[in-house]
Amino acid sequence: MVRNLKLYGAFLIASLKKMMLYRIDCLVGMFSQVAFQVIELVFIWIVFQNTETIAGWNFEQLLLLYGVMMLSVSVTELLFDATYDIGRKLIRKGKFDTTLLRPVHPLVSILGDSESYTALGYIVISLILIVAMLIRLHIAVTFLLVMKIVYFGILGGFIIGGIQTIFSVAGLWSYKSNEIVWSVFQLHKLAQYPIGIYNRFIKLLISGILPFAFASYYPTLDYLGQQQNYLILLTPCIALLIWMIAIKIWNWALKKYRSTGN
Amino acid sequence: MAMIEVKNLVKTYKISEKEHGMIGYVKHLFHPKYKELTAVNDISFSIQEGELVGYIGENGAGKSTTIKMLTGLLTPTSGEVIVNRIVPNEKRLENNRQIGAVFGQKTQLWWDLPVIESFALIKKLYDIPTREYEANLKKFTEILDLEELLEKQVKSLSLGQKMRCEIAATFLHNPKVVYLDEPTIGLDILVKEKIRKFIKDINQEKKTTVILTTHDLKDIEEVCDRIILIDKGKMIYDGPKEAFKNQYGKHIVAEFVIQNKMKNITLETSDEDFEVIEESEKNVKVKFNHDKLTIMDIVKSISNYCEILDMHIQEEGLEEILKEIYRGDVIYDT
Repeated sequence: MVRNLKLYGAFLIASLKKMMLYRIDCLVGMFSQVAFQVIELVFIWIVFQNTETIAGWNFEQLLLLYGVMMLSVSVTELLFDATYDIGRKLIRKGKFDTTLLRPVHPLVSILGDSESYTALGYIVISLILIVAMLIRLHIAVTFLLVMKIVYFGILGGFIIGGIQTIFSVAGLWSYKSNEIVWSVFQLHKLAQYPIGIYNRFIKLLISGILPFAFASYYPTLDYLGQQQNYLILLTPCIALLIWMIAIKIWNWALKKYRSTGN
Repeated sequence: MAMIEVKNLVKTYKISEKEHGMIGYVKHLFHPKYKELTAVNDISFSIQEGELVGYIGENGAGKSTTIKMLTGLLTPTSGEVIVNRIVPNEKRLENNRQIGAVFGQKTQLWWDLPVIESFALIKKLYDIPTREYEANLKKFTEILDLEELLEKQVKSLSLGQKMRCEIAATFLHNPKVVYLDEPTIGLDILVKEKIRKFIKDINQEKKTTVILTTHDLKDIEEVCDRIILIDKGKMIYDGPKEAFKNQYGKHIVAEFVIQNKMKNITLETSDEDFEVIEESEKNVKVKFNHDKLTIMDIVKSISNYCEILDMHIQEEGLEEILKEIYRGDVIYDT
């Protein structure tokens, strides 16, 4: 396990180095993200021109929630963006066999190839948003709180990344797997809003089946100090569980893949 | 104990059967039909440590499928593969540590990074001890002439430069077995020679077992001691390269320089046991089976129709022999 993580780190650093070689792509990526985010924020602002609160949340609280999700998503992009590449890049171009011949679990190689030109800019924007909203809400930005934000940001990234990894297995059979991963990923937007606005089914979906709410809603409740909620203590367990499922599914799929060939 | 042991290896694929035209494709979408294709049919061989084996056959003969099963990329339908006491598709990671592989044009290097960074990542990947790594890097750089390439991005290298780096990367961790699938495809003669020399040198020094598939039979002539030939999934020859030539290479080509030709030799000799493959006023090229005729027989026969000034005799190379086998001119015992 330690060896796997070490190699994953080494591969990621190689990807980062590569990204730095493409400075222009990096800048374009960052600025396009800024533009994209501004539009989404404007949309929320317009909604609040017409109402004071949504399910008891005011504008600042909602933006805080939004920022927390953005942080988790950016961690996902930074670490696990390659989940989109399996069908079209690895399998289609025949690079997958090379990956399978390495003395390390194929997922380490695959995910280690993640390269997101937007993630770094994204992390900065989300942190600024989170801190600004905490200040406007008169919540003291203590060291403990900062540590919590980092901790839940990383766990949130692992939760979303784990969900993507599970669905990315489709790439072994479909060149279009990136669209499957993308569709599932889009569900995170549901957890960008207080889950009180949803019916039972959606609540169950985003806190139980595909637990995106643990990457945004539950940590935000804790930062707001609104209520004692013990649910967030489960966050690391949930992240771990998702990854165990992801690895199990991948191992099963790899075995299948090797018996049919391509 | 042999380094590679293959027993009764079989691989059958299910391939989809589509009718032509749009309707056929739509039908296939809802009601797919499959037929079975046996790519590798009951192949057995055993390879000792340090052997250099040429694994040859036509396109689609089952070479790549075999290599994929040997490397553990593909699970056999039946039969057994053991590489250095490991069953590759059961203990994949363990097997991956002891092997190296080059698959044609697919690179194992990091495309956008300098070559040396890829090597450093491979060092980490295989836990190569620093001393071993440094020593190999030094030696490989020398033989393959990599000095100026190490700091360059992989994507900026030419095909030949890339393949030299690729080969070096494959041997960096001192693998016990190396599979080279078309390592010289598309390369110029000088690069090919460098690569062949490298394989031979490393084999001599480290007793690395090498299995080489290639369509360039010069690779086999120069590198391999042993040939395994497969055709339509079945093994049709396994043995030393020289014995292969003796067994199948029964033809000799004699080229005569002539003058004062009196008759059309091709027509005149059409009943004879030899074949005129080229004829002009100055030259005649004759191919004959060495078991049935001697050079003297040919000389006597040809001199009936012209004056012979000079003569040149050539034994068949691997390439000609294989051409005959593929065409079905040579009957082999199965």
